[in-house]
Amino acid sequence: MKSSIFSTVRAYLYDVYLRFRSIWGSLLTALPYLWGAGELRKEVTEQYPDPISSRTADDLPARSRGLLFNDIQRCTGCKECEKICPVQCIRVDTEAGSDPTKLWVARFDIDFSKCVFCGLCVESCHPQSLMHSRQYEGAVYELKDLVASFGRGYVTAEQRMKWAALRKQAESDEVYL
Amino acid sequence: MSSYPQEASWINLLSSTLGFTPGTQEWVFAAIGLVFIYCVIILPSAAMMSFLDRKLSADFQARVGPNRAGPAGVFQPLADLVKLLQKEAASTDWNWREALWLGVHTMALYSTVAVIPLGSMALLVDTDMSVFLPFWAALVLALGTMLLGFSQASVPGWFGGIRIAAQVLAGAFPSLVAVLCAGIHSGDYRWSAFVGAQAAFPLRWTAFSDPFQFIAFVVFVAGGLVMLAVPPMDAAVSLRDLHGGVSSHLFGRRLSLYRLGRFYGFFLWSVMATVIFLGAWTLPFGLGGVLRTREELWLLQLLETLWLLGKTFLLMLAITSLARVHPRGRIDQVTDFSWKVLSPFSLFALIGSALWTGWGLLR
Repeated sequence: MKSSIFSTVRAYLYDVYLRFRSIWGSLLTALPYLWGAGELRKEVTEQYPDPISSRTADDLPARSRGLLFNDIQRCTGCKECEKICPVQCIRVDTEAGSDPTKLWVARFDIDFSKCVFCGLCVESCHPQSLMHSRQYEGAVYELKDLVASFGRGYVTAEQRMKWAALRKQAESDEVYL
Repeated sequence: MSSYPQEASWINLLSSTLGFTPGTQEWVFAAIGLVFIYCVIILPSAAMMSFLDRKLSADFQARVGPNRAGPAGVFQPLADLVKLLQKEAASTDWNWREALWLGVHTMALYSTVAVIPLGSMALLVDTDMSVFLPFWAALVLALGTMLLGFSQASVPGWFGGIRIAAQVLAGAFPSLVAVLCAGIHSGDYRWSAFVGAQAAFPLRWTAFSDPFQFIAFVVFVAGGLVMLAVPPMDAAVSLRDLHGGVSSHLFGRRLSLYRLGRFYGFFLWSVMATVIFLGAWTLPFGLGGVLRTREELWLLQLLETLWLLGKTFLLMLAITSLARVHPRGRIDQVTDFSWKVLSPFSLFALIGSALWTGWGLLR
């Protein structure tokens, strides 16, 4: 059908009208959000817990997974966490200590630049020495500062020999007992 | 049409207040006036509007928006400015072409501070072509912006430059015709004539005086958005569509200069729309006349400017909220809209308002 000038003008004006109606419609949808009455208005934004947002670290959920902390006094150096870590961010080195029943955890490093905070290590920790702290401010100036060390440190050869002697002593004591 | 007595001019007011001798050159006052307007009106407006814009769009999208710097984030614009000012240059070689065209772009914009009408005594230039000066400035601005884009020597810069020039040409025609409509209503193109043709009551504003003037008002505002690439007509300079277009390589101080200029364009256009179509600075309840007879000229000027700025900010907020709920137009949609919708409607409004005013004169 050949369109006449009138139908062309009419279609043009109808197009302009549709555009204005569309703008008006989107305004009607959006404006109620200004006073919190929009259809989908839900408080979904969690404010960062710090003094500016007047929230504190205590507002964190009970099971929130903060930076990891290892209580080295309870740690047995079993390396379960090192084995289960999906990103290999835990590095544990142990050696025999003075007590024959316990290992000396010389090195217990957690690289937070790799850690994904999955919590598998905490679940697998039998002596429950490894846990999530409520610390979440992890920003540092140097990448190497992101490695947290909980180990007791490597010992000297002299110390090692002394401990070996102590262990021998303990074993012989055990025999006599 | 109202003409104010010479002793009530801003120059006399300024010289008597600052204690200048009567023989001081006018350009000294003009320079002081420009710096004053820039620092006291334009910069704070830019900060306020950018904050409101961000809070408004945050509300529309059920977000929180700026909330770190100061109470409810009110100092965020200041923080942004400080951050931009202290940024280091990415490369050591100085792009003099970029600096040159950014300079042209900025000068073209701020040359209009001289004609910006802010009150009956703050009319720095009030000739019968004052209202057209921003248009010429916008055309120089288009040249500066286009060559600023070319100086980036990158694809977004080239395309952004060409597109922004196309956009300015598309937007200038309908908004120029819309100004002609208002001129038919007021009878002259002086700012004071536009003010004199209106009164404080909204139905006596040019925009609502007859239906054709209302169309002219809408066309003027929309044409200005196209011309100055203000959202939602900012496809040519937007980050999402064109990596920032002509500003794709600007950063730090240059970016802050550029962004302030963009805001100033929007602000200027809203002030013009308010003065030409929305009743300008005429105070309600005959307050202006009372203050004038009592010779309270500073108070009068202050109230007039605040009243004008209040209306301007409302208009800007309306445009901004519209931009935030409406998807940004593609560049071809923007130019199409300007040539195929705004232009015919502006011509229609021109003919209509001519007939309307002619009929009124004959009657």
